[in-house]
Amino acid sequence: MEKSIETIWKEGFLKNDALVAPKLNDLYNQKSIHIIDKFKRMFKINLNALVVFSFVFLVISFLGKIPVVGVLMFILFNVIVIVNKKLFKGLNKIDKNVSSYLYLKSFDDWMKEQISINIKMSRYIYPYVFLAMISGFWFSNNFQETLNRIFGNYEAYMLYGIPVFWVLGILFIVMLLAIFGGRIYKWDLNIVYGRILKKLDETLADMEELRAST
Amino acid sequence: MSSDFYTSSILPYSGIIIKICRAYTDSQEDFEDYYQEVCLQIWRSKDRFRGDSKWSTWIYRLSLNICLTLIKKKKKNRQHHTSDYSLQDEKTEDSRAFSDESLNLLYDAIRRLSEIDRAVILLYLEEKPNKEIADIIGTTPNNIGVRVNRIKERLKKLLDGKVN
Repeated sequence: MEKSIETIWKEGFLKNDALVAPKLNDLYNQKSIHIIDKFKRMFKINLNALVVFSFVFLVISFLGKIPVVGVLMFILFNVIVIVNKKLFKGLNKIDKNVSSYLYLKSFDDWMKEQISINIKMSRYIYPYVFLAMISGFWFSNNFQETLNRIFGNYEAYMLYGIPVFWVLGILFIVMLLAIFGGRIYKWDLNIVYGRILKKLDETLADMEELRAST
Repeated sequence: MSSDFYTSSILPYSGIIIKICRAYTDSQEDFEDYYQEVCLQIWRSKDRFRGDSKWSTWIYRLSLNICLTLIKKKKKNRQHHTSDYSLQDEKTEDSRAFSDESLNLLYDAIRRLSEIDRAVILLYLEEKPNKEIADIIGTTPNNIGVRVNRIKERLKKLLDGKVN
């Protein structure tokens, strides 16, 4: 006679070996490797995308007759890529033959250093981007024609051939961008890497709690 | 995870977690991953336990939800990596996790059920009342009654002649 599924279940689990719990061991190690590998992949993809974008932007700027913007942005994007590739080399130097906590901690330290360097750079990058845009448009004939149409015969005070109110306005915006460059970068960073950084913080917090309780 | 919490609050209920994880995995490696993930999530969510239900019921609910999430993630990954993957073609491996051959066969059959049916039959086999199963699954006790009968018929067919 066939056994019912209820009997199979009950009898099967009466045997000692049926409910042996696996050891909790390698989970954090797997998680740390996974987090760092994921970040490395994303970082590489983003740097390569930036290089591609710099070329696309350059071509578009020539087609749009604002080559100055294109050239200046091309230089900027590639400087960012070179700096970050150098930083990335530091990430590859992190010793994997340590505990998962130390591995993640080294990664976190690297990340903090990388963010701090990029924050410092951002104080110059965002004003540079703004000035590149302004100068690009300033040297564009279409833009000059549009300005003439808007302002007509209005005679402004000039400084080196540029209206004073323009210079003041530009300086004001450049100052704001220099002050808030770091914050803009952090906001930007959060959009791209926010989830992975949150995961890193959570895992580190878990591991620190674990270390404290043992 | 603090070892105290694991020993006092998870280990006594590890049987429940093992039974659930086995039903949603087809290899020892996956089983261990799922088990560890469930334990980790229980520990992380422990502060959210308000005592509305028994701790064991809460563990049941959490374990099922975590396994369902993990299995969905796994399917998604597989679909990403293999374009010709189809859910209908999914085969369960014979993991031979238990020394009791009948139990291995029963688990093989359970793994052929849909994810929700697996949850229902696991809870039924653990002698949970229909109302509690309905609460966990999110349906009515009547629906559970009908569903359990249908699942048992299906399992009977799948095991036909294999178990004595």
